[in-house]
Amino acid sequence: MARYGMALDYKNCINCKACEVACKEENGVLLGADKHRIWVGVKEIEGEYPLLDIVSSTFVPSQCQHCEDAPCQEVCPTHATYYDENNVVRVDSDKCILCSYCMNACPYDARYVDDRTMTVDKCTFCSDTRLARGETTTACQNTCPTKVRTFGDLDDYDSEISELLRTRDHFSLKANLGTNPKLFYLT
Amino acid sequence: MQVEVSRRKFLQGTVAMSVVGGSALSVTNLFGNEHESHGVAKSVTTKTGTGKAENVPFLCGICVNKCAGFARVEDGVVTKLNPNPYFPKSRNMLCARGNAGIQTMYDPDRLKYPMIRIGERGDGKFKRVTWEEAYEAILNGTDKFKGLKQILDEEKDNRATIGYCNGEGLSKEGFEVLVGEKIGSPNYVDEISICLETTLGGYVNTIGTYGEADLNNADYLIIAGANRAEAIITPDTMDIFKRTKGRGLKTIVLDPRFTNTSAKADRWYAINPGTDLAFVLALTYVVMNENLYDKDFVTKYGVGFEDYKNHILSKKYTPEWAQKITNIPAKEIYKTAREFMAARSPIYYQGRRSVFSKNDFQLRRAMAIFQALSGNLDKKGGIVYGKKLALPKEEINAPMYAQVQPRFDTAGIAIPSGKTGSWIVFRNMILEGKAPYPVRTMFMRKHNPMSGVPNMKKTEEFLKKMDLNVMIDILPSDTTMFCDVILPEASYLERTSPVATYGGLEPAIVQRRAAVKPLFETKEPEVIYKELAEKLSKPLWEITKKYDEDVQDEIKGISKEEEEKYYKENGFDLAKPWEEPVGKQNEEKIVKTFGEEAWKTLQEKGVYYPNMDKYHKQLNPNEFQYYPESKKNYTTQGDKLKVTFNFKNLAKKGIDPMPTWHDKWNFSVPKGKFRLVTGRHAQFTQSGTTNNVMLRDLIPTNYLWINQRVANKKGIKFGDMIEVSSSIGKVHIKAYPTEKIAPNQIFMLHGFGGSSPEMEFAYGNGANDALIIEDKIEPVYGAAVMHETNVEIRKVV
Repeated sequence: MARYGMALDYKNCINCKACEVACKEENGVLLGADKHRIWVGVKEIEGEYPLLDIVSSTFVPSQCQHCEDAPCQEVCPTHATYYDENNVVRVDSDKCILCSYCMNACPYDARYVDDRTMTVDKCTFCSDTRLARGETTTACQNTCPTKVRTFGDLDDYDSEISELLRTRDHFSLKANLGTNPKLFYLT
Repeated sequence: MQVEVSRRKFLQGTVAMSVVGGSALSVTNLFGNEHESHGVAKSVTTKTGTGKAENVPFLCGICVNKCAGFARVEDGVVTKLNPNPYFPKSRNMLCARGNAGIQTMYDPDRLKYPMIRIGERGDGKFKRVTWEEAYEAILNGTDKFKGLKQILDEEKDNRATIGYCNGEGLSKEGFEVLVGEKIGSPNYVDEISICLETTLGGYVNTIGTYGEADLNNADYLIIAGANRAEAIITPDTMDIFKRTKGRGLKTIVLDPRFTNTSAKADRWYAINPGTDLAFVLALTYVVMNENLYDKDFVTKYGVGFEDYKNHILSKKYTPEWAQKITNIPAKEIYKTAREFMAARSPIYYQGRRSVFSKNDFQLRRAMAIFQALSGNLDKKGGIVYGKKLALPKEEINAPMYAQVQPRFDTAGIAIPSGKTGSWIVFRNMILEGKAPYPVRTMFMRKHNPMSGVPNMKKTEEFLKKMDLNVMIDILPSDTTMFCDVILPEASYLERTSPVATYGGLEPAIVQRRAAVKPLFETKEPEVIYKELAEKLSKPLWEITKKYDEDVQDEIKGISKEEEEKYYKENGFDLAKPWEEPVGKQNEEKIVKTFGEEAWKTLQEKGVYYPNMDKYHKQLNPNEFQYYPESKKNYTTQGDKLKVTFNFKNLAKKGIDPMPTWHDKWNFSVPKGKFRLVTGRHAQFTQSGTTNNVMLRDLIPTNYLWINQRVANKKGIKFGDMIEVSSSIGKVHIKAYPTEKIAPNQIFMLHGFGGSSPEMEFAYGNGANDALIIEDKIEPVYGAAVMHETNVEIRKVV
């Protein structure tokens, strides 16, 4: 029984994509550029050479935000999307009918279709791989060269993530939507 | 819907094929015949299980870094590669390539069994043979090519008729022992002359070391011509970017294009290619003129400091002067110089990579000197010298060959290096008939000069000129396709490698252990060296006896037994260094030096250093302590420290003894042309990973970076096919218009545009820059100069 979340020291991110590959290899995610559970957001730089706006070229790692009030879970007609015992937003592929409501409802574009099962797939916080084996980090956190990510139990006062959120300023993506994400971007 | 082929099924399939295969499949193209290929991914990921698994410590071999990891092995299949938290250098991480190493091992296009050429050079027709048949073909040739015995006989035992090359790696030294020391060839070329030779040379000749930048403790960083966010070097990459962006490490980036490293900078200067030296000289001018340097330090350790100061001031290398050359505003140069010297622990990052321009050696000298002016050497937060844990050196009993001729590839080079030569000079002299004796065979391993060495057409001609080309590799590279005998090697996850020692601030011993047995019919490199040596030893000895008068004198009239004894005692028994397998040799070395416990630790954890059990601690979920602060080797040199400002002996070789700018180095591009710059990306290691399906998801191909406004004028849009041509060739590549590059420059990633049809994903994908980069060298070591080619572009589609 935990309430899992992740803090991201996103200024460390160099867009090396180690997390994307580790995630795919750990969780058996399909190959294909459009089949990613996690990714790094980057946009084309602003300005004219050589007067470029460095700040406009920030790298923002993103993925399923494991919202406390997840729109994907609300709209799912078959209850395929559910909260597991650790408050991780999961998809039960046996129940999923690929109506794709959840994909449209997700404000973070965190869901895609697994072509093998023809159901919706997304980040699981490595619940059925690493966590199931008793490990305490996700694949993306463990492999990250610049250690962007800290995964942990938000309900555990002594966890590293709780400590980080107590001591560092942070924000959530699209906080105005009231989804209450459990991913926190440290500033 | 795509049906999943699990990695397990793939493996079972190959086992079945190797039984069915055999001599029935004796004709034509034997590469990658186990799978139908329709452009779909052939390797796939495997979800890790929750059952039993073994975690085998390995050292990554996908690039030069040698990061440590644990391979998760489930039922004999590697399902995941995880970082190893014990190795101070790699700091508990694996990058995208490191994670994707699985896909290289299970690449369906792998070289699977020995092959010999049955068609013409380069047409891809090979025959599958046994290992014995392959060794036999190397020794005695076939109806298509000559064997080594005939070649050496015709060359009267001149071992220099053999050339050899090898790319970087833990088994490279063994190949050097085999072909260089034991077989006796002096003609060796490797990656160094197309890589960081001038950087190493410039630093070692100035401050005595290339050193390690203590980026964890520095507070000011100038990083020029090094792209650490995309060309990952451990631990530098990790240490830098945790502290950029106002978090303790002020970072000034110089690069002609806006890279991911530039994105992390406090300031980015879009410097003209090849003009970094002018920038450093101007920084130095400010420091000398305003007396900002560490006076005590330069007085104590400097050689020729006053000469250099006078030189810089009298040449008037002012920021105003440099502005015109570099395109960096003078006031920014003043500011940077003053900030650097005012900082507590400033570092002008040494950089690595290729040689950019002909002044590269002088640039590195100037950089090392500038670092020394701050006094921030051999101390915390500076460039440190560190320590290395010594391992017993192997004694190689190298035979003496009287008939061997010396190497010749010295034309146009001031300081020819001893062991390895200049690829370009070596190749070109042979092609142009300037070699004093014929070089007739190339022994190659883990090296792809068709992609790495500028002017691919010449490399192709060079390879075609040889009587015998032998390749040891894991994939059918561009170069492999021009070989006669191909020996398939076990990839780094399938082999235990010679134990290595990593020096620096926090030294450690590391060992790569085989996670699984060699796949297909591949063998570990050291096993190949041994077997090949066994095959060649006696026949080559007979040739030596026939031509070598020294040997003839010594064995005159002795008995067969005495001759056998002489042969062994004098090292003609070529296989001797591999009498014991690698693992056994590692054990002996470690037990002898550090004891049984150390060996146990190394076997289990992949890493060992004295007191590791006491020192190593987990600090938080992400970070570890390797050594306590008081045990880190920040300061090790004492009075040995020496900084050579004025290197008088260089003048005797025709090299400036102090870094000096020459106007011929001014940057200019003829109207209508572009300067070609190349570089790296964090998802690829040169041509070695372009067939990796996982990485291809991340970077599908290389693109031509062209300035957005120039592209607009020319009507070029993203994805348009562009022909890029230089004086030596042309390539086709898709356009990526962007403001991240100057209007008079273009950029493309190196390593793409594979020409081997047997590498399905690499073949014809993108452009190979070796087809258009002109084969120019810098004058000190003859290293290839990568950024001095101007090109024209034309939209084709």
